[in-house]
Amino acid sequence: MIEIEDLVHVYDGATRAVDGVSLRIRDGERVAIVGQNGSGKSTLVRHLNGLLRPTEGRVLLDGVDAATRRVAQLAATVGLAFQDPDRQIFAGTVKAEVEFGPRNAGLRDAALAEAVAAALQATGLEGDTATKPYDLGYSRRKLLALASVLAMRTPVVVLDEPTTGQDARGVRRVEAIVRELGDAGRTVVSISHDMRFVADGFERVIVMRQGTVILDGSPAAVFAREHWPDLASTYLEPPLAARTGAALGLGSTPTDRSLIDALAGQR
Amino acid sequence: MLAVLPAAVIAGVARRLIKVSFLLTLPIAISVVLVSVFTRAGETVLFEIGPFDATAEGVDFAAQTLVRLFAISTSIGLFGMTTDPRAFVLDLERRGLSPRFAFVALATLEAVPAMVERAQVIASAQRARGLDTEGSVAARLRGVLPLAGPVVLSSLTEVEERSLALEVRAFGRPGRRRLLWRLPDSTPQLLLRALLLGLLILAIALRLTGAFPVLP
Amino acid sequence: MLELSLASYRYPGYAKTVLHDIELRLGDGEIVGLVGPNDAGKSTLCLVTAGLAPASIGGVLKGTLTLDGTPAGGLRTHELAERVVVGFQNPNTQRSGLAATVFEEIAVGPMNLGLEVPETLARTRGAVARLRLEPLVERDPQRLSGGQAQLVAIASLLAMRPRHVILDEPTAQLDPEGTRLVGEALKALADDGTSLLIAEHKTDLLDGLCQRVVVIDGGTLVRDGPTTAVFEDPELEAVGVEPPARIRLRRAAQAAGLDPRVLAGART
Repeated sequence: MIEIEDLVHVYDGATRAVDGVSLRIRDGERVAIVGQNGSGKSTLVRHLNGLLRPTEGRVLLDGVDAATRRVAQLAATVGLAFQDPDRQIFAGTVKAEVEFGPRNAGLRDAALAEAVAAALQATGLEGDTATKPYDLGYSRRKLLALASVLAMRTPVVVLDEPTTGQDARGVRRVEAIVRELGDAGRTVVSISHDMRFVADGFERVIVMRQGTVILDGSPAAVFAREHWPDLASTYLEPPLAARTGAALGLGSTPTDRSLIDALAGQR
Repeated sequence: MLAVLPAAVIAGVARRLIKVSFLLTLPIAISVVLVSVFTRAGETVLFEIGPFDATAEGVDFAAQTLVRLFAISTSIGLFGMTTDPRAFVLDLERRGLSPRFAFVALATLEAVPAMVERAQVIASAQRARGLDTEGSVAARLRGVLPLAGPVVLSSLTEVEERSLALEVRAFGRPGRRRLLWRLPDSTPQLLLRALLLGLLILAIALRLTGAFPVLP
Repeated sequence: MLELSLASYRYPGYAKTVLHDIELRLGDGEIVGLVGPNDAGKSTLCLVTAGLAPASIGGVLKGTLTLDGTPAGGLRTHELAERVVVGFQNPNTQRSGLAATVFEEIAVGPMNLGLEVPETLARTRGAVARLRLEPLVERDPQRLSGGQAQLVAIASLLAMRPRHVILDEPTAQLDPEGTRLVGEALKALADDGTSLLIAEHKTDLLDGLCQRVVVIDGGTLVRDGPTTAVFEDPELEAVGVEPPARIRLRRAAQAAGLDPRVLAGART
């Protein structure tokens, strides 16, 4: 369980990037964090693996204060996949790149091979073990970066904008990965700008604005009409399915599926 | 020195200038002092350490050299701290410097903070994958490739896109450009530069004719 | 008019051809969308259409690029720049780093062309006005949001007064606010004869903007037609492109046996 208690993070003595956030994320939850750039999303999640330390407040991982652990130690519990794959790829082959993380986490031999194979399978890269990372196109490099974090088998997986720059197939694959992680009981926290990805794949949406949480609930709750002004204040627009459902008086229908079901139910 | 320090005070950079110049010249200063104090031929021995004699002449030479070093570093430092590099390079271009040279000079300056920021993001990403940057020396050494690799690789891939973006804005065109900018210049500044140039010529002349004491 | 005829291209040092016999035409004032899966050749096509491949990056181009009647083959890159420009997705790499203000940044292109100062000022002011950037002209180009920086990059291209503008995924790295800003700015380009080719994944963005859409897959153009026809094509998803949300919802309703006209009636 992740507990964030009254977290404040101040940059350069002046900017309050996170301004008093308290949250509890249970094991196995799939949580999306949304909000405009500068709302504090990236700052918040970087406290989960110790890259940033609180100015005030604390972050507890299963009761242990994250501030008492080194980043390298926390990496075995919380994996964080960055937005830009080219800011982390360095190995000569896909396999070596994916092995880096689990090796650091102490996996060897059979356990290592298994973790790597599973990660490559999930990201569709199983046929490219000997390929040079930069011979892969951007979409697949992004999946490679994700694979290298998945292979660490961390109970918590944090994704920073996993679908940005991805084509439709890449997005489908990321959606499948999120589903599988959830099915396996691992906690998923994802920052995203893609409201449809968020509504379809996550059970909880946290909306941030100027360092604080302004909405926190299921997609149906967050994308309901009464919250649209709040969403607009952080430059977010609900998915078309939600807007259509509201216009037709069908209640809150954040996903295509829920809209169609509501329409069918009306007949 | 007499010219540099008052100018530094006027510009408001005196403290920083002295501190930076001092730090920069310190390594050379230490070796100058050690070498000249103990090995310059001289007669007045002040004290001895083993086979080495510290002479008054040596101390005198060391002192003169240190003052000169300090004068050089503070004048260059003053220039660096009070001149806007962009204005400087563009004015050079207006006076005939090739625009490409101007661009390279400015781009180099901008490249450093960008690369530092990139390196920080890369370090964060690798640490998030378990790279230990806070542990033993051996652990940190293992981290060199995962840290340096992406810095170099991503810089190179970015270079291609950057240069394409530049070509699209006609940076490849040979010939001069008509700049929008003009550094303001005034008569007092022109007179001051003429005066300084005159003093420089005078100083060289005095030195050459031996009218000023020369080092032994 | 920009015309690409039987264009095939391979990168320097590579044996594989990445574009095959491409036929593409951009009429004056047309806004054309370019969609396709990643690695299908969208970015390469953007570079070829802008003439930078091969003029700047080398490689081998078979076929011809003609810009308003002039073959692009013999043109130097700065000569190309006056006719066709290309913008990229990363706003940071497009910043020249030479300018202290947004106005100066936009003026860099015209200055590089060796134009006299009054002409440079006129073109810069024109670009600023076209994208409504007046509130930003005094700002430091390094301190803008992603969306703002991308707008400045596009304005910097417009200041070259090109007839044709190619944009390679201009909103890929932007948040929804930045995407909205750029999308609206692009609409402003429609009215004055500049033709526009926009490569994008966000089909919703292209839906409201383009008259025509071309689809690229494996280096070949597999579709070229009016926006709605292309987006409604059932084969589109097989190629790896997702149609706009309104079409998706309509299809889902039809699949569930519902009358899609109900959806059309909803004013969102």
